Amino acid sequence: MEFQSNYEILRTAEFIRSRGVSRVALQFPDELLKDSTQVAKALRRELGNGVRLYVMADTAYGSCCVDEVGASHVDAECVVHYGHACMSPTSTLPALFVFGKAFINVNACAESLHQCLSISNKPVLVLYGLEYAHAVQDLKSTMCKLLLSSESNQKLYYSEVACSSINPSGYNIKDKEQPESHGDAIADGKVLKTLESGVTNKLESGTKYTLGGLTWITPLEHKMEDYLLFWIGSDNPAFANMVLTFNGCEIVRYDAEDCKLLNDFSHQKRILKRRYFLVEKAKDANIIGILVGTLGVAGYLHIIQQMKELIERDGKKSYTIVMGRPNPAKLANFPECDVFVYVSCAQTALLDSKEFLAPVITPFEAVLAFTRGRQWTGEYIMDFQNLMTSDTGEIVDDNEGARFSFLKGCYVEDLQPHENNGDQLERSLALAEMTEKALNVRNQSTDTVLFKGTARSGAEYLAARSYQGLSMQYENAPLQSYVVGRTGRASGYENEKE
Amino acid sequence: MVKFTVEELRRIMDLKHNIRNMSVIAHVDHDSLVAAAGIIAQEVAGDIRITDTRQDEAERGITIKSTGISLYYEMTDESLMNFKGERTGNEYLINLIDSPGHVDFSSEVTAALRITDGALVVVDCVEGVCVQTETVLRQALGERIRPVLTVNKMDRCFLELQVEGEQAYQTFQRVIENANVIMATYEDPLLGDVQVYPEKGTVAFSAGLHGWAFTLTNFARMYSSKFGVDENKMMERLWGENYFDPATKKWTSKNTGSPTCKRGFVQFCYEPVKQIINICMNDQKDKLWPMLQKLGVTMKSEEKELAGKALMKRVMQTWFPASNALLEMMIFHLPSPMKAQKYRVENLYEGPLDDIYANAIRNCDPEGPLMLYVSKMIPASDKGRFFAFGRVFSGKVSTGLKVRIMGPNYVPGQKKDLYVKSVQRTVIWMGKKQESVEDVPCGNTVAMVGLDQFITKNATLTNEKEVDAHPIRAMKFSVSPVVRVAVQCKVASELPKLVEGLKRLAKSDPMVVCTMEESGEHIIAGAGELHLEICLKDLQEDFMGGAEITVSDPVVSFRETVLEKSCRMVMSKSPNKHNRLYMEARPMEDGLVEAIDEGAQTWLLTCAKEFNTLMKSKDSVVGAFQWASKEGALAEESMRAICFEVCDVVLHADAIHRGAGQIIPTARRVIYAAQLTAKPRLLEPVYLVDIQAPEQALGGIYSVLNQKRGHVFEELQRPGTPLYNIKAYLPVVESFGFSSTLRAATSGQAFPQAVFDHWDMMSSNPMELGSQSEQLVRDIRKRKGLKEEITPLSEYEDKL
Repeated sequence: MEFQSNYEILRTAEFIRSRGVSRVALQFPDELLKDSTQVAKALRRELGNGVRLYVMADTAYGSCCVDEVGASHVDAECVVHYGHACMSPTSTLPALFVFGKAFINVNACAESLHQCLSISNKPVLVLYGLEYAHAVQDLKSTMCKLLLSSESNQKLYYSEVACSSINPSGYNIKDKEQPESHGDAIADGKVLKTLESGVTNKLESGTKYTLGGLTWITPLEHKMEDYLLFWIGSDNPAFANMVLTFNGCEIVRYDAEDCKLLNDFSHQKRILKRRYFLVEKAKDANIIGILVGTLGVAGYLHIIQQMKELIERDGKKSYTIVMGRPNPAKLANFPECDVFVYVSCAQTALLDSKEFLAPVITPFEAVLAFTRGRQWTGEYIMDFQNLMTSDTGEIVDDNEGARFSFLKGCYVEDLQPHENNGDQLERSLALAEMTEKALNVRNQSTDTVLFKGTARSGAEYLAARSYQGLSMQYENAPLQSYVVGRTGRASGYENEKE
Repeated sequence: MVKFTVEELRRIMDLKHNIRNMSVIAHVDHDSLVAAAGIIAQEVAGDIRITDTRQDEAERGITIKSTGISLYYEMTDESLMNFKGERTGNEYLINLIDSPGHVDFSSEVTAALRITDGALVVVDCVEGVCVQTETVLRQALGERIRPVLTVNKMDRCFLELQVEGEQAYQTFQRVIENANVIMATYEDPLLGDVQVYPEKGTVAFSAGLHGWAFTLTNFARMYSSKFGVDENKMMERLWGENYFDPATKKWTSKNTGSPTCKRGFVQFCYEPVKQIINICMNDQKDKLWPMLQKLGVTMKSEEKELAGKALMKRVMQTWFPASNALLEMMIFHLPSPMKAQKYRVENLYEGPLDDIYANAIRNCDPEGPLMLYVSKMIPASDKGRFFAFGRVFSGKVSTGLKVRIMGPNYVPGQKKDLYVKSVQRTVIWMGKKQESVEDVPCGNTVAMVGLDQFITKNATLTNEKEVDAHPIRAMKFSVSPVVRVAVQCKVASELPKLVEGLKRLAKSDPMVVCTMEESGEHIIAGAGELHLEICLKDLQEDFMGGAEITVSDPVVSFRETVLEKSCRMVMSKSPNKHNRLYMEARPMEDGLVEAIDEGAQTWLLTCAKEFNTLMKSKDSVVGAFQWASKEGALAEESMRAICFEVCDVVLHADAIHRGAGQIIPTARRVIYAAQLTAKPRLLEPVYLVDIQAPEQALGGIYSVLNQKRGHVFEELQRPGTPLYNIKAYLPVVESFGFSSTLRAATSGQAFPQAVFDHWDMMSSNPMELGSQSEQLVRDIRKRKGLKEEITPLSEYEDKL
């Protein structure tokens, strides 16, 4: 029975039946794979043989996103996603989310919350990891009892789970937890309004926030900074997402596993500073690799396009790379890239490691870095969908003047955006200019091109490399006798074993 | 001095023989600005020190930023009688730059030297040439700046020390000798003899505080008519081994032993001055007025009411106005731009010395192409904007002119660090006021509006069309920014203000470096504690509009090195296990590090068997090496003096399996493994500290140095003075608060100046728990937000 409720077998069956679909993909994260056969069996028992179920075991990207590409390999018509989810909107397939139900001691949690309320003079907003959503109702009633004896509970607000299923953008969403429907549609990829991301909507009653599947409404006169955020859950990407997005707020975290209240987030603050550094570093970049980190989140093509345009406008060169989940070895295969922009869902976007040769930044950071005259005021947007809606037109054109590089500690000259709207006169000079440039390339020492990041394109970088791959000229190659290569496994060839 | 207008000033600017660009070189407590102010004291009413523009300068009594002013001076025909050089009329323009004396600000001095041709070296009449003055003087001579000397604080001789004539002469002689010893080492056929001689008029005697000064010329002129001797001959008799006996009225080259026989200088210069001063101090007005009348000194009636010191000051100022003596000395003995640029062109111009630009500079040609060097940026009164201040070496710069701006990274023929922009306005300084002028011809200093967005600290300007011009050589600074603090704003949302402020700060100071740490902290690096303090004050008050900032404790950067050869050859495997790199680390041979410039501190050595195979992945290995050597394994500080040897490589035959992605991370790991197996050590930066103090302060100095892990390696008494010169090494880490501790311990008698000298290896083992280095590494790692423990060797080294 425990199993049944944890995996919400009945609700899932209901969802599948109501859609009338016949091919369903079940997506499990690695840690839940062990239960996958049981879940599939239980579902089949409910649904009968009319519905074909597929278990998707591995995803190329973060397991929090719906793997639409994987699902379409089996022509699935809908996806059931298990485990932690980032609730990013899908682009083609409807999806149902089963968060699972993590154990929580509601009384202990309520105690901590109560303690917070009594200390803080700010109103408290309760946010939680989706795996704890099942306990919120309990928590509410417990708190009611607790507060009844003391003062009014005016100061306490709860966030709601926005929905537990997603229709691909373009459909309307109907969910019993979310009676009011929001029109969200891709109108030819131009304007995009979505529901499932940290969009702030002004409603008559107040400001509505949504973040990582949670939603809440605050009175109009309140800012987020006026709240104390009370997070129930572990220190996971969802939490990091929340901390960075509301980096101006006071935040406490209740760890349900240890039943402890934590309020030291210097680590998170440090991350924010580190991101700031990466943005500054990105400003010095000439060649940018755009990493496709998702094939599922709606609008990813649009944001990639937007990134390309942004980079080109700033006079830099971009390359788009699809490499699944990035790791140091994969990224180091592109040493010509000075920085990578990782287009992915909000919760896998933050990639930082000492091992990376070049920094990896989010699209929001890319906008900061590659828009001249734009400064970081502390606001942070993790979700690229917000970026698409929020960021148009407010580009300050400040092409005058040299840019100050905080990494080099001096003013640097940026490459001028490629002028392609020049008149006839300039066109006639274009060839001469190109030749001049080509000559310059040779003047530059290869060391600065290779190691100081002065290359302007991959071709220039290649030209500077000392080894450029196998030569294709075989005509006069002297004959060589063949030799027997090594045998054995890479971890230790035969001839190396003592 | 006459009142003059911008128009007049502008007119003289064209008379390139009648211009003198000069800077003042002086020690911190040698009231340099007072000396400079002496020159213009009479131009402005009262005792306002005109170069003293900042409040903190006034409070500390030191100059912090160099300031420039233009002075107009008209010589009399009579005084120009003996002038041999070329001139046009009697009017002169003197562009004077007063610069700070503290070593922390010597970058300001460097900037000043670049745009001047001559220097007024101010030395104390008793203490002689101080260490800092010596450093700057050497720098000046290196730039081919001709010096003249003024022996300052003469008032001390007469009032405080009451020195007798002969003794005073000996002291002055020694002071001048000291200076000449330094200058003699810069013999330069083009510059000629740069030593100074009182009898040639290149040494003045001044009392900056009291606003008077004289050269032997003043006295020679006075006596030549009286004795009917030629002025030049008289000059020679007033210095050196020339004695006069009033009883016999005879000059001799030896002291005859007669009680009335005295040295010419004592007889005719020192004693008359002393007499006048004594009479004034004793208020013997009945004696005073006839004497003054004889000397041709007329006092205003209200001045006659003064008494004592005030009277003395007034009388001396009227008799020997400091401005006249000093300005005449400069006009006579410092070169005009026309003269100076002939030999300075070699030092200045980077391009071929026979192209049109070199020639234009050499001839100071106003019709030639514009060559202008911007030596510093001066904050303007409207917030956030800067004047680009510099010197026109050839051609003319005018309002509205389109100029080609060549930055410090400009390479001729390329477009890097190059802008073409218009000069919005050309400005000259007259006292505290800025006046716009239509144009400024070569040989003059100028401030320009509208270029500040394109120039960080300095640049070379030329005409828009002069694409072949090479830039003027960048300045070399004698100090380096080794002391760093992290700054952040109290309110997070004020970050843009901080960013803007830092940009402006970087511009306003020739030395300060504003960078960023990997952790995202903004760093300000300066030459010393005092320098940083001033920078932070400027940042907060002037460049951030008073927004609050928090400043970390000073951060000192360390270096990582190794003590021995790696105890074994280490190996790392690539992620796909197909490639293996073997390496060893060892300390570099003696002298090699010094030979390699700071830029490339570590080299990679290869003697691999599979050399050819390795060459195919060379770029990846070198790339990894560059990366790893910037962030060492101990605390991610830069590596220094480590030699990494690639002993062997096993690479996959197929290029796809040994791409950059496989090699770079592997090479980085094996470098770290090699470093960790070679007894890694930390290097700490060490200052060379110069302390000047009287004997009784020595005890205090030694005890403070001991306490701060410093050690004295030289102790010299200055000949003829009770002063000692102490040289010591002091770790930079310990230097914070050193000055104030030292002053407290010696009741303010010891005056330290510190410059970065070398890296010193810390003997303790950073891998040993509880050692000093280990604690340091922990602290650094913590500050950088890293794991506090050093990553273990096993993370980097692989086994077969």
